[in-house]
Amino acid sequence: MLKRAYDIVSHLKEYVVFAFLLVVSVLLLTLNDSRQIRTIRSLTVISLGFLQDTFGFIPDYLNLQSENRILREMNITLADEVSRLREARLENIRLRQLLGWEGREKYDYVSARIVGKTLLLMRNAITLDVGSNAGVDTDMPIVTDRGLVGRVRATSSAYSIGQILLNREIRVSAKVQRTRVDGIVRWEGGDNLSLTNVARTLDVKQGDVIITSEYSSLFPPGIRIGTVVRTTPLAGSLFQRIDIAPSVDFARLEEVFVLLYRPDTARVSLEPRGTIER
Amino acid sequence: MRTPLINALVCLAVVVAHTTLTKFIIIGGIVPDIPLIAVVYLALRRGQVAGTAAGFGMGLALDLLSGADGMLGLSALAKTTAGFIAGYFYNENKMNQTLGGYQFVIVVAFASAVHNLLYFLVYLQGSGLSWTMGLLRYGLPTTVYTAAVSVLPMFVSARKDFAQA
Repeated sequence: MLKRAYDIVSHLKEYVVFAFLLVVSVLLLTLNDSRQIRTIRSLTVISLGFLQDTFGFIPDYLNLQSENRILREMNITLADEVSRLREARLENIRLRQLLGWEGREKYDYVSARIVGKTLLLMRNAITLDVGSNAGVDTDMPIVTDRGLVGRVRATSSAYSIGQILLNREIRVSAKVQRTRVDGIVRWEGGDNLSLTNVARTLDVKQGDVIITSEYSSLFPPGIRIGTVVRTTPLAGSLFQRIDIAPSVDFARLEEVFVLLYRPDTARVSLEPRGTIER
Repeated sequence: MRTPLINALVCLAVVVAHTTLTKFIIIGGIVPDIPLIAVVYLALRRGQVAGTAAGFGMGLALDLLSGADGMLGLSALAKTTAGFIAGYFYNENKMNQTLGGYQFVIVVAFASAVHNLLYFLVYLQGSGLSWTMGLLRYGLPTTVYTAAVSVLPMFVSARKDFAQA
């Protein structure tokens, strides 16, 4: 009897293996974020992160020239901006002293190198060479000097995985810097982001800067997200479609910073997951 | 015992290479599915079981590297199916012709199309995003790019075959 069963299984082994692995895959899809899965993910990030780090030394010579040109141009622009900001800062200090108003909170950050990019079929993620040993934790924001990159989604001791803004899982509470109009930034495919839930009567124009808002429990307010490139009233709707060009060039991204920012736990527990956009 | 170990090492090397060298091969946000090419190659070289297992292994590794996005198992599911389908084209007697000929590119394109169909069918469920958009903007270009890149291993196989002859 057993021999017969064995014969049948070995005769159909291709189908048995296929069916077994399909069942495992579907089980994984349903289990997803259990403690055991987090442990396996952590082990994978450690081992593959180490290998990616080892082979990540290969420089991108093709882009070095254009990158140098961009950096030189940026340097001139920033030098000009710094001198103007210095003046504004002094003026700001004087005005704050007059009003007795406390300034914005400052955050610590850790610099990180991107050692791997998993950019495949809309699931865009990056592997960073910093982990829990450097104080990095899940859901911390990832930024560059240009703006918001994404957030940390998994960590091991020495490496972490970040989801970039070009990922359908990420939604960010944001506002228009000029008019303080609120909305939700999300990615719907393509190179641009979208600012959704904005009524068509509200004032949003091409060129407006979009920043993170105070309503976000994951990201500190005031981080630049991008610039409005197009606004289109949605036919038969009270809302408008707003396309945003991200400030960060995700294709050229090599170094980032992780903000050691932890959301207010009291606030997070009051706003249950899934009911509030973060 | 030696062959499965070699297969596993090849899969590991391909996943590391794919995630490390992305910056060199990305065109307009589209990256060729190099792990899928490896899955098809293994399926045509070692058979259906090897292709199916390689698809599962590499898909799972990519899932784990994508962070906790609620889709763990999706790449594994799609690549397992792609490996199984590619395995149907395994023929021990014509292995070298298949790997070193245009048939390899066709099998890669077919497996990639099935992979992307399955992938987006699950991935875009309940997201409010259009399935057609996903397929046209990402699925189709990825399939074309992956098939184009698969010409390289095809040429290597053909050359190796020629040298042996």
